[in-house]
Order: sequence, then C-alpha cells, then structure tokens
Amino acid sequence: MSKTDDTQTATTAGTGAGTDLSSIRVDDPIVEIRNASVTFDMERGESRVLDEVSLDIERDEILGIVGESGSGKSMFASALLDAIVNPGVLTGDVTYHPQGDAEVDVLGLSPEQLRELRWEEISMVFQGAQSSFNPTITIRAHFEETIEAHNYNMEQAMAHARELLSDLYMDPDRVLDSYPHELSGGMQQRTLIALSLVLEPNVLVMDEPTAALDLLMQRSILSLLEDLQEKYDLSIVFITHDLPLVAGLADRLAVMYAFEFVEIGPASDLIGNPTHPYTRALLKAVPNLDTPLSEMRPIDGMAPDPVDVPQGCSYHPRCPLADETCRAEDPTYHDVTSDHQSACFHWEDSAEAIPLSTDGEHGETQAFAGEQSDEPVVSLEDVDVHFDQVSDGGLLSVFQEPDTVHAVDDISLDVYENDVVTLVGESGCGKTTLGKAVIGAQRPTDGTVAYRGQDIWEAKDSRRETDIPYEHIRRSLQMIHQDPGSSLNPNRKVAASLKAPLKRWEPDMDPDDRQERILSLLEYVGMSPPGDYAQRYPHQLSGGEKQRVALIRALLMNPDVILADEAVSALDVSLRVEVMDLMLELQDLFDTSYVFISHNLSNARYFSGKAGGRIGVMYLGELVEIGPAEQIINDPQHPYTKVLRWSTADLDIEETVEDPPLRGIDIPDPVDPPSGCRFHTRCPEAREACTRAQPTLDGHDDGTEHRTACFREYDESHEYWESEPIVDDADDADVAVGGSDSDARTDE
Amino acid sequence: MINNYYIERTAQAVFTVFAVVTMTFGMIRLMPGGPVSYIRSQLVQQQGNQVDMEQVNALVEVYTNVAPDEPLYIQYIDYMAALLQGDLGVSMFYNDPVTEILASAAPWTVFVMSISLVLTFGLGITLGAVMAYIEGSRFDVSTTLVSIFLNSIPYYVMAIILVYVLGYQFNWFPTGGRISSDVATGMNLAFLQSAFYHAALPIASLVITGFGIQALAMRGNSIRVLGEDYIRVARLRGLPPHDIALRYVGRNAILPMYTGMMIAIGFMFGGSVILEEIFAYPGIGYYMFRGIMARDYPLMMGAFLIITIAVVVGIYVADLTYGKLDPRAGSGGGNREAY
Repeated sequence: MSKTDDTQTATTAGTGAGTDLSSIRVDDPIVEIRNASVTFDMERGESRVLDEVSLDIERDEILGIVGESGSGKSMFASALLDAIVNPGVLTGDVTYHPQGDAEVDVLGLSPEQLRELRWEEISMVFQGAQSSFNPTITIRAHFEETIEAHNYNMEQAMAHARELLSDLYMDPDRVLDSYPHELSGGMQQRTLIALSLVLEPNVLVMDEPTAALDLLMQRSILSLLEDLQEKYDLSIVFITHDLPLVAGLADRLAVMYAFEFVEIGPASDLIGNPTHPYTRALLKAVPNLDTPLSEMRPIDGMAPDPVDVPQGCSYHPRCPLADETCRAEDPTYHDVTSDHQSACFHWEDSAEAIPLSTDGEHGETQAFAGEQSDEPVVSLEDVDVHFDQVSDGGLLSVFQEPDTVHAVDDISLDVYENDVVTLVGESGCGKTTLGKAVIGAQRPTDGTVAYRGQDIWEAKDSRRETDIPYEHIRRSLQMIHQDPGSSLNPNRKVAASLKAPLKRWEPDMDPDDRQERILSLLEYVGMSPPGDYAQRYPHQLSGGEKQRVALIRALLMNPDVILADEAVSALDVSLRVEVMDLMLELQDLFDTSYVFISHNLSNARYFSGKAGGRIGVMYLGELVEIGPAEQIINDPQHPYTKVLRWSTADLDIEETVEDPPLRGIDIPDPVDPPSGCRFHTRCPEAREACTRAQPTLDGHDDGTEHRTACFREYDESHEYWESEPIVDDADDADVAVGGSDSDARTDE
Repeated sequence: MINNYYIERTAQAVFTVFAVVTMTFGMIRLMPGGPVSYIRSQLVQQQGNQVDMEQVNALVEVYTNVAPDEPLYIQYIDYMAALLQGDLGVSMFYNDPVTEILASAAPWTVFVMSISLVLTFGLGITLGAVMAYIEGSRFDVSTTLVSIFLNSIPYYVMAIILVYVLGYQFNWFPTGGRISSDVATGMNLAFLQSAFYHAALPIASLVITGFGIQALAMRGNSIRVLGEDYIRVARLRGLPPHDIALRYVGRNAILPMYTGMMIAIGFMFGGSVILEEIFAYPGIGYYMFRGIMARDYPLMMGAFLIITIAVVVGIYVADLTYGKLDPRAGSGGGNREAY
C-alpha cells in the first residue's frame, strides 16, 4: 500500500477560511448545485434530508458520492433531475451547463422543458433494476416508448440502443425480445444503463447502481462504465455506500454524512489523505483485503435522525476529536489543498487521532480460534443437489423432459467443531444450496450428509431408532438468514420470539430461568437495557439489532453448526464488522461452528480469517478451491479465485479499474453447464484440455489443506500443459459473452 | 413436478365436471322422494292404485335416462352415455327435452350475464383507477363510501327494490319476460331494443351491487402500482401520462383482477337462479328454479350441470390464459406467481 498518513504536508494551500462556495468551484462545471435543501413535513417536525448542499460536477468527470444509508445521497441524486418525490420540497439552485455558455436553471423549468431535460441531457440509473422495468412489456418496448416520447429518430436511436447493449457485453436481439424477468440481475442492470443512455445524455446519475449485485458483476459493470464514459463523453455521478468500490473508478470523491458533504476532493487525495474524522472512520470500518484484521473498527454510535440533527457539527456525537467548538458551530469547508475540502475544525489533527495503519504487515489476530476437533461434526460426501426446472410454458412443454439445474455437484466437505467455513462465489453458484445441505435443510439428490457419523436423512426417514435421533440433529444445525427483518415474526415481541425455541426444546425449564437466560443474552450482544428490548416488536429494532436477535434465537438451541446465509450483507457497511465480531465472540462462548455464506471476499476473509477458518470458493455448483482464509486471499491458485480477488476492490487508487481477468461477464446456465472444467468458458488460462476433462480437488494431493481444482496445479505431465490455449479475439469478446443461457452466444 | 401443468390442469377440470355428474347421478338415485317415487305418485294420482311397476320404470327411464330395474352400474353407464350424447332427459313439468329447454334459455342468461360482467368490471376498473390517481380527494373518499355501501346490499334485495319501484310503481320497466310478445324474433332493431329493455333491470341490479368491490380492488392495486419504481422511472423517461396510465398502471393493476373476473362468471351463473326468478326472466336460472319448485328432477339436474360447467370452464380458462397476460407467470423456473 502506498497510501500513508504521514502526508501531512498536504496542508500547504490550507487557508482554513474557505467559508464561501468558491472553494468547491471547478473549472468547467456541467452541473452546479447551490444551497440545495430537501425537506419533508412530518408529524414529528420538519425532516431535512438534504441540508444546504453545494457542489460542482465537472464536465466529463466521474464523481463518486459516498455515504451510509440514510445520509441523503439518494435525495441528492433526485435533486439533480428535480425529481424529488412528493411531498418533499426542494429549494436552492441547480444549474445545468450544456456545451458553450448556455445555462439552464433546472428548478425553474416548465414541466415540458423539464421532461426534455430529463433523459435527453441528464439521465438516471436506479438501484433496483428489476423494479425499474414494467414487468409486462418487453425490453424493446421500453426502448421504443422512450425514443418515441422524445421524438427521436426511431431507427437511429434503436441502432444506438443496440450498440450500447453490445458495448455492455450483451446480445442486443436477445435482450430486446426479452421480458425484464427473463434477464439475470446483472443483465437487467446493464440493460437499465443502456436504457438511460439511449437518448445520449451528457450527465448520468447512478444511484447505487450495483448494490444488489454480487461483487464480480459490480466490478465488471464498473469497468464497462469507464469505457462508456470515454466513448460517449459522459459526466457520471456515481452514488454508493461502498467507498472501496468507487475509489478506483472516480476522479473525485465526495463523502456525505448527515445530509451534507463533509469532505470533497480528488479520489487519490481523499483516500491517501482523508482529513475528516468520518471519512477516516469509514475507511477503517469497511472490510477490505488490505487492512490488517486487527485494524478494522466499527464506527461507534448511530447516524443522526433527519428531524433532529445535532447542533454544530453533525458528526460530533460520534467523533473522538469533538470539542466545544464542534458542539456549538457548524464547520465550514477548510481547504486541505486547493481542490480538497474538509468540513471539520480539526482536520489537521484527525490523522493523528484516528490513525489508518497502512503498513503491509498483516498482523494476525487469532483471537477466536477455538479448539477444533479431529472428528467432523457434519460431513458431506459426494453430495449432489439437482433441481428440476420447468422450461418455458406452452402446451409443447408437456412432452419435454424437465431441465435439471445442477445446484450442487459432487461436493465433499467436512465441518469440524469450532470451525468456520466460508463459502464464496457469484450469485447462482450454489452456495446457499450447499449450505442448506450441510445443515440438513436441503435433501441431497445423491451422496450422504452425516452428523457425527449418523446419516441425517436416514435418521429422518427411518422408523427405527437411530444412533442420534433426528430431533437432536435438527436442533444442532441452525440457520440465520440474510434478511433479519423477514425472519422474525412481525407480530411477536422479541421475548416471545426467543422463548418459543426454549419452550419447545426445554419444556421443563423454569419460566424465570428462561426469562433470565434471554435477558442475559440480549445484554451480552449489546442490546441494553435488555428488559426494554425484550418487549419490543421487530419493527422497533434496527437492522443490526434484528440480526442480533436472529443470532440469539439460533444460539438458544445450543447448536453445533450455524448456517449464516449472507448474514451481514443486508447491514450497513459500518455495522458489518461489528456483527461479525459478535458472531465470532459468541462462537467462543457457545462452542459452535459457522458455515458462513458471502459473495464478498472481504467479509469472508474477515470472518474466516479471524477465526482461523477456511474459505471455500464455489463455481457453478462445484467447489473449485478450498483452504485457510489468508492463503486463499493472499495466494489464490484457481483462476476463478483470482477473478474474485480482482473483483474485491481494494483502496488502492493508483490502480484504475482494469479489464476483468476473465473472458465473459455472465455465468453460464447451470441447466447445461460447460463440459470439462466448468470455468473454461470464462477462464483466461483455459486450454483445450479443459474443455474435455474435469480437474478435481484431490487430483494433485500435495498434503496441504489448500486444495485447488485446476489443471494448472497438476504436475507437468498433465496433458493441459501440452494442449492449445483457447483464444478468442479481444474484439470478439462482446460476442463470446452471451448471457446466462448457454445457447445465447450470438452468431454475429 | 409441474412440467405437465396444462395436462394436469385440464385433467383437473375434466375430473371436476365428472365428479359433479356422478354426484348428480347419485342424487337422482338416492334422494328421498326422488324422481322414481315422484312419477309413481303421479301415476297413482292419475290411475288409482293399479299402478303397473313396469310402466313406472319405463316412464322413469324416458325422463331421467335411468332404468330403475337395471343393476346400479348399468344405470350409471346408461346415464353417462346419454349425457355424453347431450341428452339430459325430458322435463316432467314442460314435457320437453331438457337440452332443448336449456339451449333456448342459455343465450338469454349469457346475454344478461356478459353485459353485467362487462359493465361491472368496466365501471369498477375505471372508477378505481380514477380514485387511485386522485387518492385522498373528496371524490375518492365519497366514491369509496358509496362503493362500500352499494356492495353491502345483496343483489336480490336490489333486484326486488328495482322491480318494485321502477317496475310496479312507475311502470317504467317491464316486470317480466325476455322480450315483448309483439316483437318478432330476429336481428332487427325493435327486437334488440326490446331485449335490452327487458334485460335492463336484472343487469342494473347486478352492476349496482357489484361494481363497488371491483372499484375498491382496482383502487388498491393501482395505488400499489403507482408506488412502484418503474412508474417513477417511466415518468423520468418522459413518457406521456396516458401511456403510463394505460400501459404501466392500468395493465399491472388489472392483472390480479383477471382471475377474479373469470371466477365471477361462474358466480353470476349461480346467482341467476334467484335473479331470473325475481324478474321472471326465462333463462337457465329461471328454469332451474322452476325445476326445483315442480320437483322436475331432469330439468333441475340439467341446469345444475350447466352452471357447474360454466364455473369450471371460467376458472379453467382463467388459469390457462393468465400466463399469456402476465409474462412472468407460466414461464421458467416454476416461479409461477399465485394471483
């Protein structure tokens, strides 16, 4: 890592007095925002969700806007198009500068002028691609109606649409003829980007455009965005909660906290020398692959309520540097350099107070590594899980064989006591299915799943007594879900939800003991006063608190293994580290094992790494690499693991978003997986031999725990080394990538 | 396995009809005071006590297609065979083949019901959409109240009120019959006028009491759709408002009501029994009521069968066509949404 915090020399241009807006000016702004505020009248008072915000967007730049959920960043995006949803009221000035000296006062436009400005000049991409399309009309209709509504030449505009779709690595004909639900999430999002660019706007506002996608797809889209930006001279405003994600992409970054910008500056400056305490805290809180595990810290406290923003600097309740001035006065922008501003009185001291350790040394913390047993708790042997899928409706389908989805193919895996196994992979690779098979929630179509030597499904089906009764197994294998909100009954109080499992399994327990146990656990996970929390309903809890309750509920069973399916993905970035820490602490206390599922390698590394566990990498239903966490992260062997490693953005801004080290963006259809090594269709290292034979994890046993299913690990006598590399032309790349269907390759 | 969804669904429909027919057969045989004893008692009344049992059986066979002296399974096969040939027996009351009576009555019931259905849903959907667009306005609130009030009145109560006030008190509308007796049957203007004139009150009583629930359903659906992200995106894309109203809000809001509409067809046929009796409107329901009153079993069973089949076919068609209307249903992944 090159970024160091001894670059305190950056204080050169700092006059400290930059109060007016001159400090945030840029040379050639395409949009100027001045004192923009958005307010909602609420019963509790006026809710101010954008607070006197001023910012310039430079022509042809990519501006990254970063903030936690609820920091007002979506409001800012809507404000650019004067598209605040009723009953929100937008005040201030938004000025748009088309080419030349012309100025457009966006907030003063007539409805018809505004209609023309939107999409023709300033366009927008929303987070949920699926919900941004009308489900009952085709993609083609979406494009056509947009073109028609703006009186563009249909033929030219549709040709442009096709070009955009192929720029985004999709087959235009196939996409245009599809209904929205027929596309995968990544394809939907890319289609939405094409739709927003079809009228050739100058500014593209993207509101969390990749948040719902897995990391690999996010990074792939980002690298495409950079190409698009160059090709079509776009100015892009990229809004996200994920600082590392935009760090490499954006030219400038603006950090939002409590409805205003707290720090603005060139991306390299802001990452290399963050001066606002919040920016620094945010950088520390985000799990990434470079910061040593011991350095990651959650941000204490909560983001403020829009009705009741603290006096003075809105960050002072959470800031270690806060003093009387901070509590009394709202800080203005201080120049760190001529184009780097920080809204903090103590910006010069922040680096010292909140050090960001950036030494390359990975100080290992094995704090939670419990004693692991020799005998596995759960053991999977050659497990297959196949699903039958209906092909397209229609009378003819009656005579078709149902398609088989190979969700899990021939996987063997042992989970020990006090173990942590993290499964990573793209969406649709079978991680969840495998996880469910481990805890006996999904019956394998072939192979065996054994709990302490007892076949789980035999125990369930058998009428005779088995060594370990099924009820006992069921209790011992628990699960927490991704969305804590929907896994708790909304009509039951926390206490009632937590009592239910105890009543079921320990009916003899004294009610007072039960209550005592629940309260002490609530207290333990930091929900105090526990008596108060126990009487709440789920909707009165925050996301992190709900997940804690779900965790306690699973632990009350005293389970041996807990499946945590994307358990922290739905939480705010700053909370993830905290919840993962808690889970590991509880592991120590309860002697349990985790099977943790994540699409995010940083989370996986944090979770598995801290407990000395393993990471398993899945691709299309197969385990392609498994080994100790740090080895997988620092020394990935399988080309696919390397791709995942690439997709996990680190904070290195020197590195621009380069092209992905793989040959296709979309995952092949699991109904008809590729022959040989399943990754060969996307693998940059694939050779002809890979299309025929399938490498296995055990094919080249070198006695270590780190195993890889790739011919490149085999010794030199293997035919792989002799066979021809599979090459496709660089230009051909758009063609090679069809989509989620294997038959989607174009014949262009 | 839902691969054979269409076959499965068809088999289900056929089985339902088959089960109903079998039950009909069982009822004829088993009901106390069934047609056999009914015919015997008729003959006893006519001829005194020297009733020839064979004559009774022959008569029963003529009327009901079932020969009482045969073994049960033969009777059953005979009955089914006759049904498959479209022979529902002979009405004892009218002394005409049931098939003929019902065939002449059915178009009138279909006429009244289809117009009622179109009006109920047309009015309900339009009103509901308007209410959703101006949600919270005075119009919305008052229409909601009126809709709930009208919907809580049973249609037969409304029918009695209408026929009493408009028919008997004011003499504005006829109180019975399908057409005026002085109008010749045929596709001429006078005939159509007369037909509509006579059908007006039955239609009105169904529509007035039926549109409210549809309006409220449409209002709810539309408000839900109006809150969807794609509406916001469509507005930002600058689509003309009427396009958004029709293709975006309208279409997506109507989808969940489609199945309800098909099921309503069945309910309306069922409801025709009382309705047509009140208005003395000779349709299927009217004859069914007559059949019940006169203990005219073949007629009763025939009408019963027709109504059942109408319900089954309505739901069957709804199930099969839903996938065509909503591209998300019926394709791929077994994720058919259950509306």
